[in-house]
Amino acid sequence: MKKLIIALSVALVALSSCRSLKEEWDPVFTFGANEPAAEKLFSEADLKDLGFPGTFTSIKDLKAMYKDGGVAIKTNTWIKGQVISSDVNGNIYRELYIQDETGGIDVKIGKSSLYSEFTLGQWVYVNCSNLTLGAYNGMPQLGLEADSTSTNEYETSYIDVQAIINEHVFKGAKADPVAPVAVDEAQLKAAISAGYTGELWGKLVTIKGLLYGKKIFALVYPNPNMPHKSGNPENRVFLSDSGTWGIDTWALTKNTYIDILLNTNAWDSAQVGSGNKRYCTITKSPNDCKGDMPESVLKTFGSDAGMPYKQIMIKYATANYVSHYFRIGKTDVQVRTSGYARFADQKLDSRLRDGSSTCDITGILSIYNGAAQFTLVDDPSVSVTVH
Amino acid sequence: MRRLLLALAAIAFSLTLSAQEPTGGVKGTIVNRNGRQPIEKARLVLLKGAEQVAETESAEDGTFEIQGLPDGMYTLSIVAPDFLDNLVQVTVNDGYMKNMFNLSMTSVNRVTELDDDSFAAFDMDDSGYNDNPTILFGSNDVFNNIAGFNFSAVRFRARGYSSESQDVYLAGVKLNDAVTGYSPFSLWSGLNEAMRSKESVSGSEVSDYGFGGYNGLTNIFGNAASVRKGLRGSVMTNSQLYRLRVMGSYATGLMDNGWAFAANVSARLGGNDWIDGVYYRSFAYYLAADKVFNNVHKLSFAFFATPGERGAQNASTQEVYDLMGDNMYNSNWGYQNGRVRNARVRKTHEPVTFLKYDFTPSDVFEASATVLYRFGKNGYTALDWYDAQDPRPDYYRNLPSYFHDSNSDMNRNNPVKWAWANEVWSNASYYPELTHINWDRLYNVNRNQADGRAKYIQEERHVDQNDLNLAASFKWRAAEFVTVTGGLSGRINRTEYYKVVADLLGGEYFLDIDNFADRDFASQPWKVQNDLNYYLANGTARKLKKGDKYGYDYLAQVRSAGGWVNGKFVFGNLSANVGGRLGYEGFWRHGLMRKGLFPGYPSSQEMAKQWEAAGIEPSDESSSWASRKAEFLTYAGKLGLTYVIGGTQRVYANVGYFNDAPKFNQVFLSPRTRNTMVDDVEPVKTFSSDINWQYSGGGINVRATAYYTTIKDQSKVMSAYDDLQNAFSNFAITGIDQRNMGIELGFKMPTYFVENLSVQGVLALGSYEYTSNPVMTQTVDNSAEVVMQDVLVPYWRSTTLEDGTVQKHYIPSTPQTAVSLGLSYNRNYWFIDMDVEYFGRSYLDMNPLYRTDYATAGPDNNITAQEIAYMTSQEMFKPAWLVNASVGKSWFIKRKYQLGFSLNAKNLLNNTNVKTGGYEQTRLVDNTVSKERFYRFDPKYFYMSGFNYMLNVYFRF
Repeated sequence: MKKLIIALSVALVALSSCRSLKEEWDPVFTFGANEPAAEKLFSEADLKDLGFPGTFTSIKDLKAMYKDGGVAIKTNTWIKGQVISSDVNGNIYRELYIQDETGGIDVKIGKSSLYSEFTLGQWVYVNCSNLTLGAYNGMPQLGLEADSTSTNEYETSYIDVQAIINEHVFKGAKADPVAPVAVDEAQLKAAISAGYTGELWGKLVTIKGLLYGKKIFALVYPNPNMPHKSGNPENRVFLSDSGTWGIDTWALTKNTYIDILLNTNAWDSAQVGSGNKRYCTITKSPNDCKGDMPESVLKTFGSDAGMPYKQIMIKYATANYVSHYFRIGKTDVQVRTSGYARFADQKLDSRLRDGSSTCDITGILSIYNGAAQFTLVDDPSVSVTVH
Repeated sequence: MRRLLLALAAIAFSLTLSAQEPTGGVKGTIVNRNGRQPIEKARLVLLKGAEQVAETESAEDGTFEIQGLPDGMYTLSIVAPDFLDNLVQVTVNDGYMKNMFNLSMTSVNRVTELDDDSFAAFDMDDSGYNDNPTILFGSNDVFNNIAGFNFSAVRFRARGYSSESQDVYLAGVKLNDAVTGYSPFSLWSGLNEAMRSKESVSGSEVSDYGFGGYNGLTNIFGNAASVRKGLRGSVMTNSQLYRLRVMGSYATGLMDNGWAFAANVSARLGGNDWIDGVYYRSFAYYLAADKVFNNVHKLSFAFFATPGERGAQNASTQEVYDLMGDNMYNSNWGYQNGRVRNARVRKTHEPVTFLKYDFTPSDVFEASATVLYRFGKNGYTALDWYDAQDPRPDYYRNLPSYFHDSNSDMNRNNPVKWAWANEVWSNASYYPELTHINWDRLYNVNRNQADGRAKYIQEERHVDQNDLNLAASFKWRAAEFVTVTGGLSGRINRTEYYKVVADLLGGEYFLDIDNFADRDFASQPWKVQNDLNYYLANGTARKLKKGDKYGYDYLAQVRSAGGWVNGKFVFGNLSANVGGRLGYEGFWRHGLMRKGLFPGYPSSQEMAKQWEAAGIEPSDESSSWASRKAEFLTYAGKLGLTYVIGGTQRVYANVGYFNDAPKFNQVFLSPRTRNTMVDDVEPVKTFSSDINWQYSGGGINVRATAYYTTIKDQSKVMSAYDDLQNAFSNFAITGIDQRNMGIELGFKMPTYFVENLSVQGVLALGSYEYTSNPVMTQTVDNSAEVVMQDVLVPYWRSTTLEDGTVQKHYIPSTPQTAVSLGLSYNRNYWFIDMDVEYFGRSYLDMNPLYRTDYATAGPDNNITAQEIAYMTSQEMFKPAWLVNASVGKSWFIKRKYQLGFSLNAKNLLNNTNVKTGGYEQTRLVDNTVSKERFYRFDPKYFYMSGFNYMLNVYFRF
């Protein structure tokens, strides 16, 4: 029996400790895990081990590679730049803008809260090989090849697989935030003329002496859950052409959107439809518009078909972008703000709205269908200076 | 001189005795209660008063004989390894040899290790679902004895009932959780020796300790004298849950001076073979004392707790399991500095203490009263984050299916991304930072914040109970044919729900604001405050440090009182019992934090001015102060009839009707944010009936039962993130009816052709169906807006498939067919068991959203047969076969020490494809090309471990 006892004891010890060197005992004896070491930031020397050819391509030269429809970069091309965007205020979403001395570019890193990962001014190295250089309404973007889906309208897609981000985007040293470049009307016109390769697009700039144009542009979808691309004019309402449509905030949060619809008639003249298809005003229901609307389209509204569009819009309300028109000299600059921006509900300064003052605006400049467009990075109290 | 005289007197006396040569004695056979096999080498000690007068042990055939006893009353103590100790009163008359025939012993091998450790701690906290399997007790019941042990691996629920329907008592006090109703086994996990003695009844039977419900009642004695006498130690290793358990106990038994003392300590440590990140660092202690006064009064005191922590397992989708090639993948952990860290850790220290008074003035009356108090901390950690990427590795946007789906309507077609995501998940060992929580990244993100504001933290959600219970019961044998039992009970429960910052993960502080409100109401800073009062006093949200409360803080206040009485009448072979219970249960929520989203109304003029100045808009729904009280009159009645046939057979039947209060967690819509309750909550009405046949004789034990139960007007509240509302959403469902019916068969009998070999088996064949279509109300945490009000859930009870077939929906997460057949061999303190089991007809827990017209209609508001079939059907799990084996042996050493071991090997076929539970995600894919229909999110599953063993080595003396 003694042998059996010894055998049992040995078996017990063996079974209970055979994995003792493995990870299952880690949490048992850790008693408060040690804090990890500081994050590794890459130097240019580190990049050589990752296939960096030794010289960077400038952002300007990168943009020069663009061809209509987007171009897949097959050469060992690397760019570097400093971070100029932050999504902390919610006005930039799933995009990282970097710039070097030759220009800026939108790197479509499809992750949220990038400000937590990339600090303003930080150096970033991008291995562009196997990425796609594309455009969105004329604006240069660096992303992955576009999705092969039936509804895709983009030349690039987001780099939203972390493993791909890890292969292509490398964080470098932290540095002071980049100072904005002051731009005058002439430079702006030159950039617009240059189109895609204009040096200003994607850069952090300040334009001084802007006058509010008392005009906005917004495209809202009565029921965002239904198809709302350009082929579905029955589900598109443009607030454009003239005036501000009663909007005096930088954008439309869900609450502001509902508030305007519920408590004002500012949008009552807005037309459902786009292009040549203009059905009716939003005070009417899809059923009332049916003279112009195919029966098959009408059916998609289901039980909502008898409800005035205005009510449908309230029922499915969401936050919406708004572009406010400003002007420097004779050149328009839109300031486009997301309804999810933390400052979306802030009103434009009354002195701007009544035209008594001009302002300086700092933001990331982009091109949108041949027009200049600003995206504010900071809260307007910082990025918009009223004189 | 005096010593000499005494010695002489003693010699003289002994000579006198020897001259009388008493001829009396006692003999019998020691047998196992289950199967009636003889037990050899049982140690028998005969006592006269406190004096030991003889000692022997049973022979190979279980027989024993003690001769030469004078007439008188004796106590025979029987101790055998792996059996509960037994005390028998023996009277020797007229010098005859008293034949005790069969003295049965109850095996403890089966139930020794059965407590909540038998089940993996599944992390269901954010799912809106519950998963609390029933633990079957009942060492006297052949069905429960076998099913309780063999079926635990698949989270079998007796008769398909929920775990909260099983009454669990300690020292005569019902200890089911006051807020949720769950059975509280975790309070004494690891105290197996201290809590070993128990009595159980099954179904609707009435216990001496409480009226019970329809799913049995177990009373654990828990007092010092009930702990097995002696010093015991054991070391156990286990490959399924924790690596090592060390346990020791000491009990004096009831001593001559009327005192009994007992202590039990244990530690459970380490990980396991199957689920990474799951570990135990749990300890347990128990101290108890009894004092008996004049054999009439007895006071019992006990104090125990099981402090420690254990890592939890999370459910994942089948896509993740398949890619990982591992159905045991656990997304809760990741590496920090190269070491494993689990984000979800249960941390508890909830001491329980009781003082019990037993009064036994005569043979016909006994009564007891207990005051029991439970207190302490019960925390559960989780990651929390503000304005940062979802840190869960298996978040759906990280998986290949997010980038490619063969269904073009899903609009997912990017082969490059799919290939990369697939590469990561298919080669997880190369990408641990992507397939597990990347703790290092969380620290780095926090360090990146210039102002020190942490984006990621580890929170600890607390459910801290202060639970005061009073219970009294009596048993009065009023006449030879009438026994009356009854009792009174009262409960005051104050449970505080709150969370604290457990770890700032390298950050300096975390801000006490509501993440979701912050997104919607950024321009109204007062509205995003979790603690509006702090904001008003300080002009800013609280900067939280480690240990600070935040987010929510409220009390669940529960009060209950009641009484019961039961009469048992015996008329020859026929007996009957009739009983009733009447009670009151009331509860309310008391908010301790005023939340900006639901401030209520100012309570003073001064506050009104302050609010006005800050622009705060009062609300009808309030997060603070007391809600209205939900009050219920509860009552129940039971009737039982038993007929004994020939001493070996018993036929008995029970019927019961129960009108029970719903629980706190089934009534409040969103207790973390406000006082609002579900409208028109009804008491739960249960009708239960069973008829049973039991045979016990000739070594054969059989129990066959048929049961039929209806449960009506149940309600529940589930919470989950709703993509369509972009908010955390609450689904309150009322009017859930179900019907549970089926048969149970348990048997154990000798094989006859091989001595000491028995065949044993159980069959549980049930049909547990939903029988109503409930109504649902959906709200969101972000506003008082009601998204759906009292909407019928028309496909809850059944689905109509495209071919017109009606598919019923069933109670989930338990097999409705469970079969076990095995052999058991017992000889010379060896036991060897081998069982084959089959489990079938187990179903996935359903989500009510998928069974609404809203979900089946899709964006085009057009309900089609295809959408109904797709969206509303319920998944049935594949059946499973399992093979288990056990072997054990014990030895007496020098007739004083006992050494033994037991080895249980489960799932010998190493079947790792057995789903034991899971849930449907309450989310819809709405971003489709056609905009005609919604799609489901993939459900999440839990799987049973593959081959696992438990080796226990013990030493007792």
